[in-house]
Amino acid sequence: MTLQAALEPVLALPAFLALAHSFPTSSLLAAAGASPAASPEALPAITALQINAGAIAPEAAVLVAMLACLLVDLAGEKAASRWVPPICYAGLGASLVLLALQWNAPLQPAFLGSFLPDNLSIAFRGVVASSTLLSLLISWRYVERSGTPVGEYAAILLAATLGAMVLCGSTDLVTIFVSLETLSVASYLLAGYMKRDARSSEASLKYLLVGSAAAAVFLYGASLLYGLTGGSTSLDAVALALQTATTPVAALALVFVLATVAFKIAAVPFHQWTPDVYEGSPTPVVAFLSVGSKAAGFALALRILVGCFEGFQEQWKLLFTVLAILSMVLGNIVALAQTSMKRMLAYSSIGQAGFVMIGLVCGTKDGFAAMVLYMAAYLFMNLGAFACIILFSLRTGSDRISDYAGLYQKDPLITLGLSLCLLSLGGIPPMLGFFAKIYLFFAGWADHQYLLVVVGLVTSVVSIYYYISVIKMMVVKEPQEASDVVKAYPPITWAVEGMQPLRAALITCVVITAVGGILSNPVFSWASTAVTGTPMLQRAITLASATSLS
Amino acid sequence: MSIADSTQFLCFLALSAAVLLGALGVVLLPNIVYSAFLLGGVFLAVAGLYLLLNASFVAAAQMMIYVGAVNVLILFAIMLVNKKETLAAIPGLGVRRILSGAVCAGLLGLLLRVDFTTPWALPGPVSIGEGATIRIGEHLFSDYLLPFELASVLLLMAMIGAIVLARRDVFSSDVITGEGVDQGLIEKARTPLLLEKNLQIQPVLEKTP
Repeated sequence: MTLQAALEPVLALPAFLALAHSFPTSSLLAAAGASPAASPEALPAITALQINAGAIAPEAAVLVAMLACLLVDLAGEKAASRWVPPICYAGLGASLVLLALQWNAPLQPAFLGSFLPDNLSIAFRGVVASSTLLSLLISWRYVERSGTPVGEYAAILLAATLGAMVLCGSTDLVTIFVSLETLSVASYLLAGYMKRDARSSEASLKYLLVGSAAAAVFLYGASLLYGLTGGSTSLDAVALALQTATTPVAALALVFVLATVAFKIAAVPFHQWTPDVYEGSPTPVVAFLSVGSKAAGFALALRILVGCFEGFQEQWKLLFTVLAILSMVLGNIVALAQTSMKRMLAYSSIGQAGFVMIGLVCGTKDGFAAMVLYMAAYLFMNLGAFACIILFSLRTGSDRISDYAGLYQKDPLITLGLSLCLLSLGGIPPMLGFFAKIYLFFAGWADHQYLLVVVGLVTSVVSIYYYISVIKMMVVKEPQEASDVVKAYPPITWAVEGMQPLRAALITCVVITAVGGILSNPVFSWASTAVTGTPMLQRAITLASATSLS
Repeated sequence: MSIADSTQFLCFLALSAAVLLGALGVVLLPNIVYSAFLLGGVFLAVAGLYLLLNASFVAAAQMMIYVGAVNVLILFAIMLVNKKETLAAIPGLGVRRILSGAVCAGLLGLLLRVDFTTPWALPGPVSIGEGATIRIGEHLFSDYLLPFELASVLLLMAMIGAIVLARRDVFSSDVITGEGVDQGLIEKARTPLLLEKNLQIQPVLEKTP
């Protein structure tokens, strides 16, 4: 890439920051004059809205890291592989620290109402940023081994993170669309990053076509919502307009928006892209897509469906019940027949999204808290599993399940880590996944969603079957039954640069997955604080309990 | 009806007819070059509709982006892949056409129903004509500041990604170990499922007590 291209945003950055800090909000709005709500009695409310740019400080840290990666990359591939990892750690670490500082802070809308740093958004942004951090830790060796440029890889992944993080907190249709596109376009690029491989290009093309269709559908829905408000794109105005809206247009907008959300979280029947994209994309990218991108999708679902479509609760809850049942059944049953590890995890992630949707359908405090908790647990167990299969494919060049036969004799670490993470994904006690899943089912049961919970329990048993068959493949085989790949297993070495971060990420994820369940009380309270610190969810909960009482 | 009104109405009819006929032509004509040029015509007619609505900035943007960039790009793409190739006939094409036509007609019916049953009571702010550009600028730096800045990140990242995917590579070895690389997935291509010899997962599942 050219020097000018890399420098342009850097030159723009100080201007942006200066603007963000000393922005004469009220005077500008006075100059704008005819803004829709500028009637005299509404004026104090408007002037109280500040730019409040500190709200996106975590995103700014990610942005700075992204630009630094691009700058360092100019010095050549050697310098990039030396300096890009620490820059990314620093940026994402700073972002996580800044997010922790925002936790439970007094709530102020930022950017004149386009962004809201409530606890819900902070929780989901934390999940996204951690998933990027862990995905980057496990990707250095993979990317270098495949010979693709590291600096641009990290920059594009950080841009995807930025989009996903802004998406989690955005409260304005335009911001939602732009951040959704930032996430999506970056994902298409990353899916096709191994450009000499036909599978990767195919994955990218499929993802691009289906994703563009989903984006167009979202725009159509958003334009209908904009039309209903009569000239405002803020989600508050949309919610207000929907309370008095006539049914057909609002229902159509609901269907369009819901289709986009379902595409993003890969719910059946909007899942067709998932297996092919997961199989063809570089494995660390799949790790990010399956956690970070999905978390952003769920944050969007909460923001739009719970926040705006209160009056259409019955309709969207019914639709989501159907989606959840289909996802759990189809995802878990088709996963049984897979021979590729990546494809199996793709279908398993469809099933897992179905479990999380139970919490969304409940609409109670426990339901929302269980969603947040499950996403956090899913982050560690899924990324732990991905760390293991990346390590295996780095050593053997294979991701066939049958090639894992007899692995425990050659590589106990992968065997142990993968076993623990898969058991946790299946929901076996005392792993972290068990507690998260039991909380989800408990919340569903308490809200009388018996059908969902029963389907969830049955499909969990199905999922345990295919998770355990992988473990059995690794552990039970005699040495002479081991696969050819395992028989020719290379000596284990961690000396190559990029292997140590992979080992660190693997061990971290596995330890948290294994021990987190026993020490899960702080996580429970964290998840419920995420719900109590979010006015939007509180309103929905009060509304739901009021309707259930009456 | 005054002269101004009737002129406007006639312009609207002409532009709408151009949009509809052009769009049908884009979809139905067998020659892709005609389709591409008709698409340009449709974009132009839509720009005319924007002008009728007093939205000159949007009309200009439509001209520059859709007619100037997107359509020219489509034509370039057609020129670059201009390869004579006889395509095999798709089986059951007639049924597929009827099905997709039915789906589209259903969607059209749904949209028409929504359009006519909704009381679009709020007319929104009155059109401000030439002042729109100023107003858009004010919005971009007040309530749309965040999406505006985020769009710059989006464009930067899209540009970098396009360069990475399109460029000829300068290095073809692993920078750490110096081994040769092929820029493909680490998981090597598999033999198709049915040809796979040691399909070991099935026996294991059957042996489960």
